[in-house]
Amino acid sequence: MKKDAYLGIDVGSISTNIVVLDSNYKILKTGYTRAEGKPIASVQAAMGDLSELLLKEYHIAGVCTTGSAREIIGAVVKADIIKNEITAHARAAIHLHPDVRTILEIGGQDSKITLVKDGVILDFAMNLVCAAGTGSFLDSQARRLNIHVEQMSEESVLSKNPTTIAGRCTVFAESDMVHKQQMGHNQRDIIMGLCMAMARNYLSNVCHGKEILEPVVFQGGVSANKGIRRALRELLGKKVIIPKYHMVMGAYGAALIAAKEGIQNTTFRGFDIADYKIVTQSFLCDGCPNQCEVVEVLDRDKIITRNGGRCGKWDQ
Amino acid sequence: MARLAIPMMGNYSIVFATSAESLGVETWTRTSSTTEILKLGLDASPESACIPFKIYTGHFIKAATEGVEYAVMVNSCGTCRLRYYQPMQRKILKELGFDIHIFGLGYDGFKPPLIRYFDPKLWPFLTSIARAIAKLKAIDMVELKIWQIRPLELKQGDTTKVAEKLFKELAEAKKLKQIKKIKKNIDQRFDLIPVDETRKPLKVGLIGEASVLRDKFLNHNIEERLGHMQVQVRNFFLLGEELKKIFHFGFRNKFARNLKITREYLTSVVGGHALETIANTIRCANDGYDGVIHMCPSACMPEISVRPILKKVSRDYQIPVLEISLDEHTSGVGISTRLDAFVDILHDRREFFSK
Repeated sequence: MKKDAYLGIDVGSISTNIVVLDSNYKILKTGYTRAEGKPIASVQAAMGDLSELLLKEYHIAGVCTTGSAREIIGAVVKADIIKNEITAHARAAIHLHPDVRTILEIGGQDSKITLVKDGVILDFAMNLVCAAGTGSFLDSQARRLNIHVEQMSEESVLSKNPTTIAGRCTVFAESDMVHKQQMGHNQRDIIMGLCMAMARNYLSNVCHGKEILEPVVFQGGVSANKGIRRALRELLGKKVIIPKYHMVMGAYGAALIAAKEGIQNTTFRGFDIADYKIVTQSFLCDGCPNQCEVVEVLDRDKIITRNGGRCGKWDQ
Repeated sequence: MARLAIPMMGNYSIVFATSAESLGVETWTRTSSTTEILKLGLDASPESACIPFKIYTGHFIKAATEGVEYAVMVNSCGTCRLRYYQPMQRKILKELGFDIHIFGLGYDGFKPPLIRYFDPKLWPFLTSIARAIAKLKAIDMVELKIWQIRPLELKQGDTTKVAEKLFKELAEAKKLKQIKKIKKNIDQRFDLIPVDETRKPLKVGLIGEASVLRDKFLNHNIEERLGHMQVQVRNFFLLGEELKKIFHFGFRNKFARNLKITREYLTSVVGGHALETIANTIRCANDGYDGVIHMCPSACMPEISVRPILKKVSRDYQIPVLEISLDEHTSGVGISTRLDAFVDILHDRREFFSK
């Protein structure tokens, strides 16, 4: 008799994450891959990696998808539950740290703060129209300095006198950074300055007006960056906890939601999804002046899902 | 007959159209914007103008291409950039080579310029206004009913169907008698929708800037989305109340009441509907709403100025406020993520506080 396992898939703007739990919520496997703009292919690849290990001992009893591509991936793998990433992330943090009061989460293009009391999410805020204060800001600055993000992380903690950089907007940050370089500041201090600028952005844009109480948990892709960790600690003057699975908390939360839901018969398509030939195509509907861009996901000739329509004409 | 284009105000466009008939003209209007209209507006407008400006400009361009000779645009109410929009649009459309005359709605003497120009006869003028007022009341009733029934419906979409039919009938009704008859049957027709009475839907107030509250294209159909998530909404922009304010019927009272409610947070008009935003949030908190969604166009001056105050109200009154900024770049996915999470949280909160 094979044991039950639960699968959580988080497909975000930058990465595709997978977590498999057993029925005691113990993590069997985690996966973090950069999606490189191909959400469906990256999920197929990740599923292919998982299957060998799992087919021997476990069978999947429930699947939950989350992240910005949750709907389309949910349709492709036939998920039991499709959940928004804010709830998924918070559930994971609450599971690992039941007494948590504040969850800071910085991802590739989103950043959010979630306020929790007694294990219940009471409030949240998310960045609105600006990506300053998200992972993309760091990515683009690292590219300008011509160093790798991981190297950036190592360098930043060594800085003794971080310089001040105007970080409201990536464009102004660059001109300010160039100015600091010409002034003769060393790279380490500039990198830490960038981290401080980003953390300041995040705190003043997203967390404005929210009471940040301890324990504070910091997660999401950017939480891997030691400079940002340091910046948040210094700016908040509080202890910042980095959970064990900080990179894959969304997928972890999704798997927990699947495991706790009490699913009887899963609709999961199976691991052979990796071998399916899935293609997407889009067209412009000319039924009305709205001219919606409709996207179809096809498995060979069979339509799996359609989205993008406003009126419901193309819904299945 | 001359044709007059009316600014789009959601379902209230029907009312505007009827009241414009009082001038003895045919009207051109839409009850919601479309991608095509947005695109026309975007191409013609300065990039930094707010989304309502772009949308209204788009509407007028669309009307002009269809050969409409006149248009009317609000230009006197509220203290934001809206008051400059009519002259701006006049210039833009002229530069594009359209021959359309855009009137303002302001007074400059006893008769507004619009009425002076068309100079309608008194009796048809009065009967059209009476019809418009009757339609306005009926539409307010339908709106309130939709918000109440939609979260309870057993088959998704039933309420929308009934409502769309009612709006269509109201738009086509030409006689006061017909309108009154439709109005009488509103309750009855909504009562025919099969509902689950046992549901206890979340209650959410929608507040913020008028055009994004009213145009379901701009707000990504938020009322229906929330309704289908079994949330009872209350959109705090009802035109009936708004007109009372503009035409000073009980204006002082309503204004004074708002100021009294907000006195600890805001003691003057910031422009637009910013004072109402604060007052209505406090009202929602006092009336036991589960949450409030604040919607405004990105960079809307009045609404942005009160956002920090809104945060304080949210903390003091323990009511969650979801802030949504909307413009042509807003993605539907971003909105639905935030709405999903917000609704999740409101459910959790309700459970938590009822313990």
